[in-house]
Amino acid sequence: MSVINFGFRNEVIKHNASLSYCYQCSTCSGGCPVALLTNGVYNPRKIIEEAILGLQEKLIESQDPNPWLCSTCQKCVELCPQKVELTEIFTLIKNKCFEKGKFPEAFLAQGQAVLENGIAIPYSKAILTRREKLGLPEVKTAPVDEIQQILKVTNFEKNILKGDK
Amino acid sequence: MENSSKSALIIGGGIAGIQSALDLADMGIHVDMIEKKPCIGGRMAQLDKTFPTNDCSICILAPKLSECYRHPNITLYSHSEVQKVDGEMGNFSAQILKRARYIKEDACINCGLCAEKCPMRVEDEFDRQLRKRRAVYMYYLQGVPAIMTIDKEHCLWFTKNACRICEKACEREAIDFEQEDQTIKIDNIGSIIVATGYSLIEDIDNDILKNYGYKKYRNVVTALEYERLLSASGPQEGHVKRISDGKEPKRIAYLQCIGSRNDRAGKYCSAICCMYTTKEAMIAYEHNNTLESYVFYIDMRAGGKGFQSFLRRGETEYNIKYVKSKIAEIKVDNNENPIITYEDLDTAEVKQLQFDLVVLATCIIPPEGLENLAGILGIELDKNHFIKTPPFIPLETTRSGIFTCGCVHEPMDIPRSVAEASGAAARAAEIIKGG
Amino acid sequence: MSYDLFLGCVIPARLPYLEVSSRKIFEKLGIQLHDVDGFSCCPDPTGIELIDHNTWLALGARNLSLSNNNGGIISFCSGCVETLKGVNYYINKDVTVKKEVNRYLQKVGKIYEGKTQVKHFAQVLYENLEKVKENVEKPLEGFKVAIHYGCHYLRPSEIIAWDDPFEPTTLDEIVQALGAESVEYDSKMECCGNPVEKSDKDLSMLMIESKFKDIYQAGANCVVLVCPACYQQYEFNQKDINKKNNTEFNLPIFYLSELVALAFGFKPAELGFNFHRAKPDALFEKVGFKI
Repeated sequence: MSVINFGFRNEVIKHNASLSYCYQCSTCSGGCPVALLTNGVYNPRKIIEEAILGLQEKLIESQDPNPWLCSTCQKCVELCPQKVELTEIFTLIKNKCFEKGKFPEAFLAQGQAVLENGIAIPYSKAILTRREKLGLPEVKTAPVDEIQQILKVTNFEKNILKGDK
Repeated sequence: MENSSKSALIIGGGIAGIQSALDLADMGIHVDMIEKKPCIGGRMAQLDKTFPTNDCSICILAPKLSECYRHPNITLYSHSEVQKVDGEMGNFSAQILKRARYIKEDACINCGLCAEKCPMRVEDEFDRQLRKRRAVYMYYLQGVPAIMTIDKEHCLWFTKNACRICEKACEREAIDFEQEDQTIKIDNIGSIIVATGYSLIEDIDNDILKNYGYKKYRNVVTALEYERLLSASGPQEGHVKRISDGKEPKRIAYLQCIGSRNDRAGKYCSAICCMYTTKEAMIAYEHNNTLESYVFYIDMRAGGKGFQSFLRRGETEYNIKYVKSKIAEIKVDNNENPIITYEDLDTAEVKQLQFDLVVLATCIIPPEGLENLAGILGIELDKNHFIKTPPFIPLETTRSGIFTCGCVHEPMDIPRSVAEASGAAARAAEIIKGG
Repeated sequence: MSYDLFLGCVIPARLPYLEVSSRKIFEKLGIQLHDVDGFSCCPDPTGIELIDHNTWLALGARNLSLSNNNGGIISFCSGCVETLKGVNYYINKDVTVKKEVNRYLQKVGKIYEGKTQVKHFAQVLYENLEKVKENVEKPLEGFKVAIHYGCHYLRPSEIIAWDDPFEPTTLDEIVQALGAESVEYDSKMECCGNPVEKSDKDLSMLMIESKFKDIYQAGANCVVLVCPACYQQYEFNQKDINKKNNTEFNLPIFYLSELVALAFGFKPAELGFNFHRAKPDALFEKVGFKI
């Protein structure tokens, strides 16, 4: 049985007020490439419906539908007649999934790479040699401590650590 | 003070304008009716049947058209436009441009011989560009006044100084290329009623229709185009065929809210589409009782008398399936069959269905030229560019003495337009007859 | 004309050969690209943003604050463009967001006003289309190009504010300016599926499979892309798709800059084509493109 969590619902609306404009017309799911391919198992309209109803357990704990299947193609946002910012709302939901430690592992790797290096893909020795051979200049990326300072302020680390099982 | 010598000016010859004119004329008030097109009748003349009774539209309209034309208190200026309005409530004066038809109005008997001979083919506006008319033409078959008109933008005489075959064909010597536009001044106008109707979102360049393949896919039509196809006097004489291959459609999809209730287009509800879509599906079913109709909607809006049971009948007697799922886009397969992706809200499955024909219920928008007319009349428009009316007195405009009725201030159906028309006539009469 | 070059993560650290052609074509056009020290991950709008939105805003704003160039930033990656334009959009739309972001930046002694312009390299090419045409020495005759616009190059249109979100034309015009033919195919506007890969590899494969199928059916002989995520999706999966479905797809996958470079007269050898998995040599021979 799903319980309505008003606090969760209000939090989502506070982050993005356009959630309350949705009138559940299902234009989004009709245009969504993933919804068609999964025959509605992934369903953007349903995610928004659950957010409107504050069904935090269903959305964040059970992840039904699974928001991680969104391909961020933004067709839904572009088509929505009420200008509901679906992808933005999905971002918040995914942030919350991360807080609860429920996310696909591949995201963890990228998060940790940025935490440790300031960039998502560290330069391997092989790549550095290849760059030299191709006549490309050396890339001086951000000082790692500066990035880590910012990540401390935004609490990024906590998110990563919490999810680090 | 002979107040009843004041006249009323009605701008717009659709059902609303006509009803006001008749009401006022029957009260003994002189009415001047100005209509932009060559004939009065407006949108109602373009419809096949009207909801919720499914009566034949032109059958109800035609007697009113004749009455307007013959009423001793009504002067009809068709093919005309208002250019200037001065004065104030109780004492307006107007300058009318009466465009030349290049036809002698008392000689023409509407026999059509001139049109038969005319070599120029022009896209027929009344039939929504679904067929071609000639440069000398009758705006529509049952049009009033029943006088031909020459379209000088396409007539070979006016564009290239050639032809004039119509002149030779006419047995009544009714063609008159020397005719000129006239400027007519009307004084002593007590009140004005604006009833210039509406346009549709496909009449302007709007991105919203792109995803539905309108004008790209041949088997996607708009609702008014479909009305013309359904009409016995239309380009397919009522036997609807697919434009791509002439085959009879077996399964038709009706898509609601195309450009309406949409933050990127018409932000309002277009009011009549839920009802007219059911009506159209019913008419189509009467022609072919193996037809499957699907209506894809956000909400079915049926607020008037008998409207909800109309929808129920559609479901139970006319094989209409109502699916709550607004459609995002249309694709086609190799045979130009539209493919629709929708969500089945009972199961949350996303499915695809192939159709033979798709009808788009497009949004009603303010009529062409309203900004200009509002400027001439000195009245304000609202944020959706319809005529601005006070919320509890919807027949008044922002200028005293100028009233409005019908779709020019808000999308509405025929019964409501007629009711408002009588209301506007009463308000107009108050000024003219009152002390 | 000059821009600050934002390289991002994927191209310089994984696909450096794409960087080569990108730099060379702007040199030929006389458009200067300044290398700037200190950029971090943009951050990835399909990765980091989903972990924490505020971090995304902060790191994005920090990157934007490093650009002092009047022309603003140019990027070779649709994802980076989406992030940087997106951060600009949110900061300029809501003053509380701007304040909050600058609160984070203050900790590292930086400040961002929201004024740095951001352009996709394809936008710069399109804005200089006449110059591009003038510099074409070897028109790409016979190249039947299937253009994949990708999603982040176009949408959301309020943030990207460039081409039409559903019926774009800019890349078609650039490809045609190079003398090549742009081939229409059924799923041209569909997503390549790359962002789903982290969550469901099979689903991601289904999406790219249908693209390959339609491209092949339409008779194209190569694919062109403007995003390294899409590039990886096409280039790295072609062989696996063949294995799974018993097909023989062997389309050269080009980055737009590589096509422009070829048309400008640069030799394939200096552009790093040997690093491509599907080699373009057969294509060059078939259409008689002199290398």
